[in-house]
This record gives sequence, structure tokens and C-alpha cells, in this order.
Amino acid sequence: MNILIVEDEKALTAEMELFLAGNNYLCEICYNGTTASEKIATNLYDFILIDLGLPDYDGLDLLKEAKKYNPEAACIILTARAEVNDRIKGLDLGADDYLPKPFSLLELQSRMQAITRRKFGLKNSTVTLGEFVVDLTNRAISHNGTVISSITKKEFDLIAYMLLHKNRTLTRSQLSEHIWGSVVNDDYDSNYIDAHIKNIRKKLNTHGSADWLETVRGLGYRINLNA
Amino acid sequence: MKLGLKLTLFNTISKLVIVVLFVLLLPVLIRDINRNYTDNWLRKQQEKVLKQVRQQGIHSFIQNGEGYGSYNALLKEEYVSLDVDSAGDNVDTIINERRLVAGDTIQYRILSHNFTVGKQTYLLEIGRSIDTINETATPLQNIAFELLLGMVLLTILADQVYSTYVLRPLGQIIKTKLIGHKFPRPTPYRKVRTTTSDFEYLDISIHKMIQTIEGTFQKEREFISNASHELMTPISILQTKIENMFGSEEITDEVKVRLLEMQRILNRLKSITKTLLLISQIENDQFLKEDTISVNELVHEVYDEISIRLQEKNINLTIDIPADWKLVKVNKFLLFNLFFNLINNAIKYNKKGGGISITGTAENKQYIIDVADTGIGIDAEQLPHIFNRFKKFSKSLQQDSFGLGLPIVKSIADFHSVKIEVHSEPDKGSTFRLILPSELIEKQS
Repeated sequence: MNILIVEDEKALTAEMELFLAGNNYLCEICYNGTTASEKIATNLYDFILIDLGLPDYDGLDLLKEAKKYNPEAACIILTARAEVNDRIKGLDLGADDYLPKPFSLLELQSRMQAITRRKFGLKNSTVTLGEFVVDLTNRAISHNGTVISSITKKEFDLIAYMLLHKNRTLTRSQLSEHIWGSVVNDDYDSNYIDAHIKNIRKKLNTHGSADWLETVRGLGYRINLNA
Repeated sequence: MKLGLKLTLFNTISKLVIVVLFVLLLPVLIRDINRNYTDNWLRKQQEKVLKQVRQQGIHSFIQNGEGYGSYNALLKEEYVSLDVDSAGDNVDTIINERRLVAGDTIQYRILSHNFTVGKQTYLLEIGRSIDTINETATPLQNIAFELLLGMVLLTILADQVYSTYVLRPLGQIIKTKLIGHKFPRPTPYRKVRTTTSDFEYLDISIHKMIQTIEGTFQKEREFISNASHELMTPISILQTKIENMFGSEEITDEVKVRLLEMQRILNRLKSITKTLLLISQIENDQFLKEDTISVNELVHEVYDEISIRLQEKNINLTIDIPADWKLVKVNKFLLFNLFFNLINNAIKYNKKGGGISITGTAENKQYIIDVADTGIGIDAEQLPHIFNRFKKFSKSLQQDSFGLGLPIVKSIADFHSVKIEVHSEPDKGSTFRLILPSELIEKQS
């Protein structure tokens, strides 16, 4: 997939490119709005990631241009700008998502995946995990055809997130950020992820073995899935 | 005591004291005036008699050495007598004395004067009864008292009306500029209508003071907003760098553990910055209040998010909120965060196996939500400071937090004009009471 990253912070674009390229995305980078505007008018992209705080351009104008010349592209706004109204304006102008800085690269990929599923309709939306089948479209996990209804929304979110980043160790903070990212509170370094994982294991183990869900000692959790 | 009342009270008391003093002095004054008047009258009568004596000759009054006497037969208020004076000294006095007139002893004011006609000296006496002189004193005193009292009441009334009128701008300044002012929301300056220059000065001075305060608030808000905003980009870069390194194949687990520590520290910085940014956004009025949501639903949504934390401490949470009340013209995201932080606090400061109860009741058009816990409570001397930023109390607490939970609650509550009352007893627990104004709440039909 082709991605255009419009972001003036070079150190940040470097990390984004490194991560996305590693996940088989083709990235082009613009450090200012003018070159981005030219690229948008001439090339076709699947994703356009726009930082609203560009030095030479109003990010929202760029979004309008993207919608005009690249109507098929999914646009995600990345911003550290404080104005809450920008979010509303951006979504009104047709942005597909809004990710406030600082964001996790894993979260960015997860949002992109969700948009892909929504926009392009992912063919294979079920994944087999040992004895279990995870249905990402209907957000359910089943064993031998019976849906395990005791799995809560939060627990499913965790499974789906780890599944998206399969074979990669996810830290507790990465998992917390994914499921509690929108809550602003004064706790950090909470161990509630452990409690969630414990619950998930307990619920799955009554049906079958869930040894694909691995605890990586001292680091976090990982879903092992050999393709 | 109010200034108007004080002025009226002082006016009333001072005027009454003056009137009473005057009325008490009145008999003495009247007696003095009467005496002067009577003495003058007696002198005039004396001149009249002497004139007649000169015109008609002494003999038309005194014949054969028999004295002349004349008085008002019935009332004996006045009398005149003319007689031969045997003593021979010069007499010219006015004194009070008793006289026997036609069988009655009466107190008179008497003018005695002797004069000589030929070789004979005569004594003239003119008297006026004291009772007659003094009979006007009492009615005069009464009339004076009533009249003055009436006048005093009238002036008090006038004073009252005028002081109310003249003090009205002061009341307005207090009501609109001091009590009615909501910090840190900036308000446009509206001049208080007055012709009193002192009040004009007061109004302008207060306005200037408020402007200075608002300016400082504004600067603080801008600073927090800009600082947290500027911090977001470097945090972003660090976070993505750590994430990429963590995901890299070449890095050993030993290094990953250290990267994890870095990530945790960065998370802490991120949390603080995000919280400060949220508070500054709320204070800068950047959130819309357009959502409608049932109170019960909202609290249950928070419960779903937070239930894992309850489970961890084995805390029993009960929600008793009638389903038919909904919040209107609110910001759902903010209220969610308010309840999240309030309940999170109730969990954090609770004991293992403790309880939390959330109840909602409609009361006098307002809606009251109580969040009560059976936790460690708050000391009375700490209670006024719990909403201060970065204030941490129980140092013994295991949980990592930086003391911004309640400030978030406070700024969201202020933003929605929700009042918060806190009751707490150490070792028994705390109750946070949210008082929602009638504008925010609607009963579902």
C-alpha cells in the first residue's frame, strides 16, 4: 500500500517510515505542505497521514485537496495541536481518523488496519488461533463453532490488538494505551493488563488450550501464530 | 450589617436623641420665655397705670387714704392695687409671691413700684397668676414633641429612600463584579450606572483589578497549553523510537527490559502532559456542550472501563441511579472522565474488600450524585487542598499517581457548573457529592 506522510518533524517521520516499511507499506515523505500539495495532485495513495501543524500550510486545506485529488485515499490526521475543534473540523472535512500526538506506532497501524477493513472490505476476517477462531468483523471468538460470550469487549480488544501485531511482544503500556487511550487519568504504570490477561486465559482454558497467548517474562505479552 | 441599614439606624438614633433632649429642655425654655413676656407685660401695664394717674390725678384712685384695687372677679388671673406706701423706701421689683384675693390664696407674679405724688408716696402692685402663665407649657411641650416626632419620621423615611437610591450602584458592583464574577472566565466590562464619583472609581478599580487577574490567568493557561503542546512532539519522537527499537530483532531481552523502563518513564511524562493539556483545554472553553446521555448509562459505561480495577481489590460497587434521568447540553467525553477519575479515586483510596456506592437523587430541581467509598478518608486539614494540582496526600499509597485526578474532576465540574461537596472521615471513607444544576438534567418522559 502507498502511504504519504506529511509531517515536518524529521525525527518522527524517520521512525514512522521505519515502522511502516517494516510492515510492508510503501512510504513517501513530505516535510512541508507545498510539496505535499504537489504530490497529492499527481500521485495516488492508499493512505495520507497529515500533521495539522505544518509551518507553511494549513493542514485542513491539505485535507481538502487530498479529498479532491485522492478521493480513494484514507486520511488520518496526526496532530499535537491543542484545539479540540480541529478534530471536529477534520472529521467533518472527510478525515477517516484522528490520532493525537503522542501516539504509538502500533496504534497507528491498528487504526490503518481498521480503516482498511471498513473501507476496502478485508476478505479474510477470521483468524484461527489453535483451537479458537477469532472473527474480527463480528468481534467474537469461538471454539468448535460456539461463541465464547463471556469474553468482554475490552478483552476482545486486547486479543485483536495482539493478533494484529502477532509474533511481536507488546508491553503493558502499549496495551493500556490501546484500550484506555481516551481516558485521561493520573495513573501510570498500571498492572490492570495482567488482570485482563488472567481473565482471558481463565475463560479460554475452560474450552481448550490457549498456549498461543504467551507471557514474555519481564516484558509483556505476545500471540504466537505461525503463518 | 449592611451599609444602608447602618446609615438608617444611625440617622434614627441621632435624631431621636436630639428630639428627646429638646423636648426635655422645653419646659425650662418655655418658663424663661413666659417670664420675660410676663415681665414686659407687667411693665407695660405699669406705664399705663402711671399715665392714667398723671392724667386723672392720684385722687381719682385714692380717696381718704383708701387704697384702690381691681381684679377679675371670677378667675382672679390678674389684679391691680394702688395704695399709700408707708415704708418710704424705693421699691421697683418683680417677684413671685402669694396674695390673698377675695378669700383665695393665689401665687402671683407681682410688679411692685412706688412713686411720689406731691409729698405722698404711693405703692403700685400689678399681679398675674402663675397658673395662667404656665398653663401653655404642657400643651406646647406635647405639640412640640408630636410635631418633631412626625418630622423625624419623615426625614428618616426620606433618608432611607435616598440612601437606598444612592447606595444601589454599590450593591450592583458587589453583585455583578465581585460575587457574580466567575474566574477564570473573562467577562466583558459593563459600566455600573452611577453619578457618585466614588462608586465610579470603585467600579473602574475593581474592573482593572479583575483584568489584571484575568490576564494572569490567561497567561498561565496559555503557558500550560503551549508547554504541554510543545512537549507532545518530542514525546512522540521518543515514543516511536523506543517502540521501533523494542520491536527490532537484534536487541537482546536485557536491553528490552531497559527500554521498557524508559517507556514507563515516558508514559509518566505523557500522562502528566496529557492531563495538563486537558485541563487547559477545558479552561480555555475548547469543548462543546452538545451531548445528551442518560446518567445511568454514563455511569455504567465508566463501570465497564473500570471494573477490572474493582476486581483487583475485591471492591463491591453498587449503582443506584434511576434510569429515567438524562444529562443534556453536556460534553460526554469530559463527564466520562469526571466519573472515571472520581470512581478511580474511590478505588485507589479504598481498602481491600471495601465498597463504593453511587446514588442519584432528584432534589429541588437539582440532581445529586453521591460517590461514597469505605476508604481511608481524608484528614480535615487536607480537605481544602484536595483539588490542588500536584498535591499528593497518602504517601504510603502503593499506586503511582501524580495528584491530578481530582483537579481533572474539578475543572470538568466547573466547566459544567456542577458543584462538588466533599465529606470525609479518616478511616471511614469519603463521599463526593456532585450537585447538577437543573439546566443539565431532564427527566425522560
